[in-house]
Amino acid sequence: MPSLTAATRTVRSAWRSVFRVGWPRTDKDRTAAMISSFFLHVHSAKVKKHSLRASYTLGLGLISFYLLLVLVVTGVALMLYYTPHPPEAYRSMKDLQFVVTFGPVLRNMHRWAAHAMVLVVFLHMCRVFFTGGYKTPRRFNWVVGVVLFLLTLGLSFTGYLLPWDQLSFWAITVGSNIASYAPWIGDDLKYLMLGGHVIGSGALLRFYVLHCVVLPGAAMTLVAVHFFRVRKDGLSAPPQPEPSAIVEAAPGRFPASTRSYGLMALTDRPAQPVVESDPEDDEVLSWPHLLYRELLLLLAVLVVLHVVALVFNAPLEEIANATITPNPAKAPWYFLGLQELVHYSAFVGGVLVPGVIVLALVLIPYLDPKPRGVGVWFARERRWANWTFGAFAIVAVVLTIVGTFFRGPNWAWVWPWMR
Amino acid sequence: MRTPQTAPSRMHLAFAVLGLAFLGIFSWVFMQEFFAEWRTTQAQFRAIEGQVKDPHALSLAPPADGIRQIWLRDIDRVDRCTTCHLGVDDDAFVKAPQPFTTHSGTWLKTHPPDRFGCTVCHGGQGEATDYRDAAHQPIPHWSDPIRPRELIEANCGTCHREREPKEAFLLAAGRARIAEAGCIACHDLPGFSLDEVQAPRLESVGYKVRPDWLRKWLADPKAYLPQARMPNFRLEPDEIQDLTAFLLSQRQTTPLDASGVDWSKADADHGRAVFGEARCVSCHMIDGRGGTLGPELTTVGSKVRRDWLYSFLEDPMHDQPDTRMLRYRLADNDIRDLVAYLTEDLVDPDAATTPPAVGFLDPKQVEAGKQTFIKHGCFSCHRFGNLASTAKIGPSLMAIGDRTVEPSDFRGESADPTLENYLYLKLREPDKLAEDSRMPTFNFTEQEAATVVVALLSTRKADLPASRVTDAPAPKPYRPQGAFGALVSRYRCLSCHQVNGWGGTLSTVPLDRIGSQLQYAHIVAYLQQPYAIRVSVEARMPHFGMTADEARTIADYFSSVFVDDALEKPFAPAPDAARRGAALYTKLGCRGCHIIGQTGGYVGPDLSDTGHRLKPGWIQAWLAAPEKWKPGTLQPDYGLKPEEVQDLTAYLMTLSRTAAGRTP
Amino acid sequence: MTDPAKDGDRAAGGLTGERTRRRFLFTTGTATVVVGVFGFLGATARYLFPNVLYEPPSRFPVGRPEDFPPGTATFLPERRLFVFNSDAGFYAISSICTHLGCNVNHITGDGFACPCHGSLYDANGQVTRGPAPRPLAWFALSLSPRGELVIDEERLVQPDYRFKV
Repeated sequence: MPSLTAATRTVRSAWRSVFRVGWPRTDKDRTAAMISSFFLHVHSAKVKKHSLRASYTLGLGLISFYLLLVLVVTGVALMLYYTPHPPEAYRSMKDLQFVVTFGPVLRNMHRWAAHAMVLVVFLHMCRVFFTGGYKTPRRFNWVVGVVLFLLTLGLSFTGYLLPWDQLSFWAITVGSNIASYAPWIGDDLKYLMLGGHVIGSGALLRFYVLHCVVLPGAAMTLVAVHFFRVRKDGLSAPPQPEPSAIVEAAPGRFPASTRSYGLMALTDRPAQPVVESDPEDDEVLSWPHLLYRELLLLLAVLVVLHVVALVFNAPLEEIANATITPNPAKAPWYFLGLQELVHYSAFVGGVLVPGVIVLALVLIPYLDPKPRGVGVWFARERRWANWTFGAFAIVAVVLTIVGTFFRGPNWAWVWPWMR
Repeated sequence: MRTPQTAPSRMHLAFAVLGLAFLGIFSWVFMQEFFAEWRTTQAQFRAIEGQVKDPHALSLAPPADGIRQIWLRDIDRVDRCTTCHLGVDDDAFVKAPQPFTTHSGTWLKTHPPDRFGCTVCHGGQGEATDYRDAAHQPIPHWSDPIRPRELIEANCGTCHREREPKEAFLLAAGRARIAEAGCIACHDLPGFSLDEVQAPRLESVGYKVRPDWLRKWLADPKAYLPQARMPNFRLEPDEIQDLTAFLLSQRQTTPLDASGVDWSKADADHGRAVFGEARCVSCHMIDGRGGTLGPELTTVGSKVRRDWLYSFLEDPMHDQPDTRMLRYRLADNDIRDLVAYLTEDLVDPDAATTPPAVGFLDPKQVEAGKQTFIKHGCFSCHRFGNLASTAKIGPSLMAIGDRTVEPSDFRGESADPTLENYLYLKLREPDKLAEDSRMPTFNFTEQEAATVVVALLSTRKADLPASRVTDAPAPKPYRPQGAFGALVSRYRCLSCHQVNGWGGTLSTVPLDRIGSQLQYAHIVAYLQQPYAIRVSVEARMPHFGMTADEARTIADYFSSVFVDDALEKPFAPAPDAARRGAALYTKLGCRGCHIIGQTGGYVGPDLSDTGHRLKPGWIQAWLAAPEKWKPGTLQPDYGLKPEEVQDLTAYLMTLSRTAAGRTP
Repeated sequence: MTDPAKDGDRAAGGLTGERTRRRFLFTTGTATVVVGVFGFLGATARYLFPNVLYEPPSRFPVGRPEDFPPGTATFLPERRLFVFNSDAGFYAISSICTHLGCNVNHITGDGFACPCHGSLYDANGQVTRGPAPRPLAWFALSLSPRGELVIDEERLVQPDYRFKV
């Protein structure tokens, strides 16, 4: 028996070497669990109650991240059966559809998660705008978010070509031609993007590398930056301005943080004890309140994705054929708003509008620096800003819907129920 | 009061519910995979396999468990049909239900599945592993569904590019129809040659035809002659007037002078006799009797002018250098009487008896007619001086089988928007599918149009490796020179006979080794005075009126050039060989088909004069292996021993008109 | 380890029914997650096994029997095997050394020798020396309907195997 006890002790100690805190039973342990784990340390030990309210954040940022995780996992799996070269690429799709065990579900999930991510990231951006979340100290994190949105579009767009079917081929043809309307550099831009004048094996390889290496790398890095800022500045902007956070760093001084437990943050700060200055009532422990919610949201996202993937098959048309143009040839749906504008004017739709939109999005936090109306939906103080942004968002959505559902052959108007 | 630092109860509930939901969904994923259609099909197969096979055979067969695929590396095609069609190459499943039934016929022997897969012949989506996606019926986003039986030969033709692929009867019929209709004149089509297009030259047609006939002909050629090759161009009445004016103005080559002919002495009855003697009926049809190589002549008298016909019979190549008509050696009087017979007896009772004089034509109308001529691409078939153009008037059909059609292509015609339906409608009624289509109406019957559709569907993008394609090379034109060449040209031997695959198919006798088959003296005599060797065959060698010198020139050439050394063996039969041969002749029942003297059948050639006609080397070679010399011949291969062949040959060489036909 | 009931204890004031319910729900949820994780791992493993291969088939024709003169061994480098035509019949032996997969050389009358690490086999492919752990593989033969010898690499046979045409 003594040997058994010894063995048990060894196992337990080995377990402890990995999970130092164990299952936490006291508040102290719960705090320790959070800050002693590499993964959990992305959260602080305590969170503000307002940031847990579902009606405030709608969980959109987290859903985006989950979708990204799903896309990475399914994407890596799909890469094992994919050959980025024209005829074999299409063959890979057919193999995934017909003979790879779980291939259809994986491909469907990757496809629908990608579309969902574009949508959810857009909604997340709207949410942050309407609750004033881009204001000091989160101004730069908004910019990071805008870039992440563009990366999401880029990931989805580059992935669109990979099946090498008629749908993808012509969507990328249209999409890359929209890009060629950029003044002066348009043609070079398209040449660079396609690695040639037409969409061929070179373009496919470029899109593959962008889709599987460059853009995911960039997106993950920026997600890390995004999360780091969130971690430093607190989950979602609070309804009231935080006393210590109103002023961003004075010149030459390290920016104060309300959430840091590190010594670094103490060195240059006013001589006051770093304790939580907020009333105790305003905060709850991240374990279990935050983590539990995150787990439930993950399950919910997975359930929905699986159902969608089981019910709806990802589209796969005939193999790409440069001699047969489908009518109409449509870009991916999230660019159909632009295509609708391109229909009227190539320059306006292809260059002016997207350029202005990106520029405006990046500049928003710097054009609207007043720290009022933060932390609540549609604050009255920000009525003008909300109306403006809302109007643009609605126009974008309407144009996209028109381009997707109301445009038939020769880009003529078609009622969706008349098809 | 502090918020409790534990999770509220409703979150536990949500956790349990979401967790169970997730498990449920996840098991759905597994179910979908492990109850896939092909797995249940294979389970059914295993049940049937146990019934139809004995345990030993069962133990040898590879287990029906898992996806099977045939990968054709050279054409990069993957077929997984055998995942469900598990019994196709196993005779034990002849009576099994589909999808397990054994493949019909001997197709898998000639096209082993490991080399040809399934979809190469059948179409469909080979990568698929379920009934629907395999495109047994047409599905969206797969352009090549499984071909129904009436179209499957189109897939034969993608690899088998020869004109008449074996056992693909619809395809062969369709290709023959395409060649006959002359599609190649207006469309690029692989496997056909412009040389096959037969249409008279029109540079001097103004001297040839009567205006009444021309107008009628242009309005609808098939109304004049049901078997006319020229299609109906659906010309407007004023176009017909213009075109008639233009054509009548074409008088580039003056006909041979017929002014010295005294028509009052013409004897139509004698002309009729000349017509019969010269065997004109071998090529020309009158009242439904005769050959189809040349034009039908029932009402030729109402069609052509007398002087032109006289000139034409004197020398057909004078204004029609490419005609298939031979130049008879007839006396002027015979020609006069023949013309009289043709123009006086063979007339349309409704037509005017005398043609109007060749007179003045309005230049404006002539010019308008020229434009009509160009617009409808008449020069595509009727080679016409400088009007011929290199580009064809119709769209290229080089990959017509890959064309995609849209519902809008059908212009309201009610049909499934498939390529086969489109082609069928286009062939039957070209004007329905396009505004102002210049494609003429060919009056194809439903059956003809269907075969042409099969042939057109077989014409696909030429991306098959050479090892996959079978083709019969186009015969090389044979144009002999010198005195012999001049005679071949004059008597148009190649309108009926073939040399090296080049030439007409009317005659059953190719000339390639004729010098080793026939005796010299027989050739000389026969050319001057041909007679019926095959009594039952309607088309006979014409009576050219050849001179003895000409016949000898030809026979010399035959005997020195058209020979096969393998047939030129000395023949020295044993003394009593002929007697044994005679017995064998009776025993084999040769007389059932062949005549000797007065008795025998009419199927095979008359053998009465064999001893003076054929060379013994040829008889032996023929008897030993008839199929080798003439594939599809009715002559049975009796599998004769060499000595039997020799005996029979010895007997046949004893036969001659003097010995057998008459009393010695 | 997992004991949310105790957490719940304090919060809910120790109501027994509530406590059981919480424990049940949390245990259920946790169990589904554990099952789900294992299911996911299993599915991933299954996914990694390809169902179809783009490889030359393991059953393949090697030529007509006449192509192999009696009393000779023919090496087919593309297939990595020897075809023997002996008095008693045909047989086929793999040329893949069972040690580390080099091609062995056939020494007439003497067996096989591996050039890489010196393994020696006798004429039947049995190991006589060297690091090779197993004898060379023998494959079954058959005759195709077209009269070609067919080798089936999936069907291994014993060294007394001879195929009579």
